[in-house]
Amino acid sequence: MKVEKIKQNAFVKKVGFNRIVLIFVLILMYLAFGALTGGSFFGVSRITNTLNYVYFLGFLSLGVTFVIATGGIDFSIGPVMYCCALVSGYSLITYGVPMTASLIMSVLIGVVFGVFNGYLVAYWKVPPFIVSMASMNIAKGIAAVFTKTQSVSWPQSSTADGWYRNFVSMNGIPVGLIIFLAVSVICAVVLNKTKWGRYILCLGSNEEAVRLSGVNVKKWKMLAYIICGTLVGIASIFFVAAYTTVQPGYGDQYNNEAIAGCVMGGTSMVGGLASISGTVIGVIIISLLQQGILALGFTKEYQYIITGLIVIAAVYADVSARRRKN
Amino acid sequence: MGDIILTMKGIDKSFPGVHALDHVDLEVRKGEVLALMGENGAGKSTLMKVLTGIYKKDSGTITYEGKEIEFKNTREAQDAGIVIVHQELNMLGHLTVAQNLFIGREFKKGIRIDDRKMNEEAKKLFDRLNVDIDPTETMSHLTVGKQQMCEIAKAVSFDAKVIIFDEPSAALTESEIEEMFKIIRDLKKKDIAMVYISHRMDEIKVITDRVTVMRDGAYVGTLITEECTKEDIINMMVGRVIYEEPKTESAVPKDAPVVLKVEHLNAGRMVQDVSFELRKGEILGFSGLMGAGRTETARALFGADPKESGDIYVNGKKVTINNPQDAVNCGIGYLSEDRKRYGIVVQKTVAENTTMASMQDFMNGIFIDKKKETEIADKYVEALATKTPGVDQLVVNLSGGNQQKVVIAKWLTRNSDILIFDEPTRGIDVGAKNEIYKLMNKLVEEGKSIIMISSEMTEILRMSDRIVVMCEGKKTGELDISEAKQETIMNLATREIE
Repeated sequence: MKVEKIKQNAFVKKVGFNRIVLIFVLILMYLAFGALTGGSFFGVSRITNTLNYVYFLGFLSLGVTFVIATGGIDFSIGPVMYCCALVSGYSLITYGVPMTASLIMSVLIGVVFGVFNGYLVAYWKVPPFIVSMASMNIAKGIAAVFTKTQSVSWPQSSTADGWYRNFVSMNGIPVGLIIFLAVSVICAVVLNKTKWGRYILCLGSNEEAVRLSGVNVKKWKMLAYIICGTLVGIASIFFVAAYTTVQPGYGDQYNNEAIAGCVMGGTSMVGGLASISGTVIGVIIISLLQQGILALGFTKEYQYIITGLIVIAAVYADVSARRRKN
Repeated sequence: MGDIILTMKGIDKSFPGVHALDHVDLEVRKGEVLALMGENGAGKSTLMKVLTGIYKKDSGTITYEGKEIEFKNTREAQDAGIVIVHQELNMLGHLTVAQNLFIGREFKKGIRIDDRKMNEEAKKLFDRLNVDIDPTETMSHLTVGKQQMCEIAKAVSFDAKVIIFDEPSAALTESEIEEMFKIIRDLKKKDIAMVYISHRMDEIKVITDRVTVMRDGAYVGTLITEECTKEDIINMMVGRVIYEEPKTESAVPKDAPVVLKVEHLNAGRMVQDVSFELRKGEILGFSGLMGAGRTETARALFGADPKESGDIYVNGKKVTINNPQDAVNCGIGYLSEDRKRYGIVVQKTVAENTTMASMQDFMNGIFIDKKKETEIADKYVEALATKTPGVDQLVVNLSGGNQQKVVIAKWLTRNSDILIFDEPTRGIDVGAKNEIYKLMNKLVEEGKSIIMISSEMTEILRMSDRIVVMCEGKKTGELDISEAKQETIMNLATREIE
């Protein structure tokens, strides 16, 4: 059995063919939108302004990358993010919980949902699809009950507690971008250089073989969901820092967008194969696309249609690539 | 005895690397039960698959009812009246008996399925076969025996003229088998020809008229059941020339310390009260036919499947093994017969697979020490002569034999002292086989101890120091290599009613 090897340029091999294509798509899209909108899409400030509103999506995408790497899926990330923002925000406004404590609370709620999802999936072996669908509703319900179905407005920049908005941007410095890239690097290191990432990827590829190697697969699988939950909690901070107002009962539209960014970046839906840099580029493409659609004068609903189609296209590409290999 | 209904002549079939059928002849007559016997891998199932169109033959002719035929699929064979009753039941548990019987050819009333008509037809069919089953019962509520009856009834409902039973009794109780035999005798009277594949010698004597024996993909001969003994059949089954000299004597001293002791292990129907000892530096062969419970024993011992009861001692100390982690910590390593599913992570590299079971030894703080990992992987690639372009090669690109070596490297890296090799050379070509054998011998010389499960008689006789024989979930014997012969092992591996 001989496997035909395609000769690859060293640079291409190192960066990955997939990612080069993605970067190319990104540049092309940027130019196309720029041309179509008569130049108003260009400019550094325009870019950072755009990005300010999508860092949260980046964190969601990073988080769900870990879950998808195990061969699982998490449809609760959007609503859980809303739940984090709503419950901690309501505590801040109504019960006078200090800002720092509220932010920490946001992250902790994300962690709790990660533990919950992870435990059910890994130890009780409930299918991830079902678990995350259920916890999506639980998150929505908790948020609505806690806030008495009222929307929560986090403090404006001008108020004393307004400093949290600096996480996104401070005096024109793109703090959000710096934090997002830093967290991405940490995620990449965790996924590729540590035991955590190694086991998460391996069990995503062949769980039974890893189990029979004497590895506690349940623990590592649960860990992937906890990492995801933590990043969802962090995402909620960047969400409120950008938008300040959160309304209970929503959040599911971001599931698709985050997952789209992840699979576009080359993370395989069947598990075992994941790329953080791919996710980063993928999520930027999704964001750009959405802003571009709006800039072209289409309504938000068109975004949903296009994101849906992208998910299908990306997953189909992955599936057919696998079929060719076999 | 009736006229010949089916003749297969000079059937030849090769798969890449295996000559599965070597000019096999078979002749079936109306109203007879023909036993088809042979060891695992003798080619019985392949022959039946060629007959029913699952495999395409390379050469040879099949004559059925006087005409030469070649089926393209089982559907065509079914329509012509040749039906297989499988060992595994192919029933949909949540449907009713009648719905199962007529699946794919339901009676319709307009566009609706006519359940009442199906129930009536099923009832008629069961009456004809003298079987007492309610057609409206949900399939999963029936016993395995009754489900088997349904399979047979389904075969008959195709207007079958030739029915092939592929180990039909494997899951049945004594009384269920008796009931099945009643049906078979009935079918005989209706002039239906039957081919009966089974390992159970006692059944062969009771129910069949003639016995055709195959060995290593070739036709050996046909006997009249009444005129032959069990020994005659076994001799025909095993009477091959052995190319590799079997081991005549064990080099392991009789007083070598016991490294693993298993007492009264129970895990379901396939592992019943199994006890054995493994001594340091020995290869303990586990022989038996398919479904004897050897893999199940190994998996229960390793903690891969839950066990009901039983004590395990490692180096004289009693240990608790509830999952593979416990087993690995006791120094046990398991090399599964299905490497791709249970042994390796194919989409990962040789190095990553090598350290899979011992990650904790390759950490530098929180980071994986890639340098150390590469070193150990390189070391074992060299020591085991694994053919790979490098340790960063994905395992999926390696051949079966080399994948097996990667699994061995994994357990050597973990420093496991007790290795369970489950069918170590399945799917591995001859040259690589010898390498694996050499490797196993080297491992025991270095003081490791090996349990080797094998369905290949030559492998068992060549490698083992002692042999445990299992049959239907029970240990039926234990032999020293000096007293082991193919015939004795086969005798222990086939069941006999006392």
